[in-house]
Amino acid sequence: MNDNNQPSVFNEILISGYQKVFDENWPMWLGGILIGLMSVITFAWARPWGVAGGLRNWGDWFFSSVGIYAQQPQSPLISTNSILTLGLLWGAFGSALLSRQFAIRKAPPLELGKGIAGGTLMGIGSAMAGGCNVGGFFSAVSAMSASGIAMMIGLLIGAYLGLRYLYWELEHLPSGSIKVAETKEKGIDWLKIEPYLGALVLIAAIVCTWIYNKNAYTRVGGLLLCGIAFGIIIQRTRFCFVRGFREPFMTGESQMPRAIAVAVIISALGFAALKYSGVRGENVYVPQAFWFGGLVGGVIFGIGMVIAGGCGSGSVWRAGEGQIKLILAVVFFALSTSLFKAWIRSSAGLTSLMGFRVFMPNFISYKWSLILIIVIMLAYYLITTWNEETEKFVVEI
Amino acid sequence: MVEGITPDETLDCRGLSCPMPLLKVKKALKKLKAGQVLEILGTDPGSKNDIPDYAKKQGDDFLGMEDESGYTRYLIKKGG
Repeated sequence: MNDNNQPSVFNEILISGYQKVFDENWPMWLGGILIGLMSVITFAWARPWGVAGGLRNWGDWFFSSVGIYAQQPQSPLISTNSILTLGLLWGAFGSALLSRQFAIRKAPPLELGKGIAGGTLMGIGSAMAGGCNVGGFFSAVSAMSASGIAMMIGLLIGAYLGLRYLYWELEHLPSGSIKVAETKEKGIDWLKIEPYLGALVLIAAIVCTWIYNKNAYTRVGGLLLCGIAFGIIIQRTRFCFVRGFREPFMTGESQMPRAIAVAVIISALGFAALKYSGVRGENVYVPQAFWFGGLVGGVIFGIGMVIAGGCGSGSVWRAGEGQIKLILAVVFFALSTSLFKAWIRSSAGLTSLMGFRVFMPNFISYKWSLILIIVIMLAYYLITTWNEETEKFVVEI
Repeated sequence: MVEGITPDETLDCRGLSCPMPLLKVKKALKKLKAGQVLEILGTDPGSKNDIPDYAKKQGDDFLGMEDESGYTRYLIKKGG
């Protein structure tokens, strides 16, 4: 045995480990399982996972600092909504750097316009449904809120309508393309440096968590780590709820719909345990949005997410990858959801139009609520798999 | 692997993000005859999985991909 060989063997193990995690994309089904588990861990730690709430907090903060809102929102630094979304962005950014997938990606003008329009629609839809595809659908269904199921139906309808628009656009509008600059400039080779920057970005997040902990904000710090875990998982698996609802109509591919069904089932089982045992309140993440807000908000959100090419979580992680179109979508999402929510809240009529708070176990017991959710998700799993073979729902161009 | 193949049609999707490249591929492949080759230039990182997967699913022949400076080149031969 030559002692000098030891470090190089260890290096090889490290390098091959790094390549496994950050070179190859992870399979989508693994993303589904990990997101289901992270959802339960996040709820057990503090609260359910959400994305739109954080964007709204940023929008509220912006409007109050320019003097449009009289009331100041909770500081984005300690709002749990804001921290979860910040963590998602942070984790996706770090993960994109570590995978050498970060680049400022410009897009043609039409695409930028679609980012703005899609983001605005998603902001309106999530204000109506009590959350985006995450808080309004994924976490809400897990929390056994009937509004989550209403939103799922709305998202499917919206995804179909959005796709019809894209087909129309393909025939009638020139999409253009971007001239790619030759990246042979002298100086720094960014791709080589990205992984080191990514490691620094993630270490900085751990330092931030430690600072929160020092200042007695351990709960917030932990949520930052949860958000970062979501960011890494989602960026590595390219987990995309838009795909989950669009693909059955576009290509018929069913990997993503199946991964979402798996994630919801795991998450719902965990939420049921946490709520039934009294560890968490029964009304948590049961928004007043059954059925009008959930369904119609879902349709509007669904159209927006397909046009933008990213949902609540998807726009944020792609923004973290440097895509200008999705950065615009996130900004307009934050602004429009803040304004629209403020408008709904200012009117008792609009608030009641959105619907009721329906916690399913209050009507059909925990057992039947869980069975119903699992049956719906299994049905989605099976129907999309069948559709992949038969292409019954696929819309031809 | 993709050297020396002359494509019958080229699709420039640089700057477009998911799902636009895939939709354009879907449309372009429909117009090609069996055996013809479609070249795609793209910058979306998601395309590296999506384009080969889609070609395989449709029964077309994915000939390969290659990183150029700042974008990726994909080649698909339409199946019969």
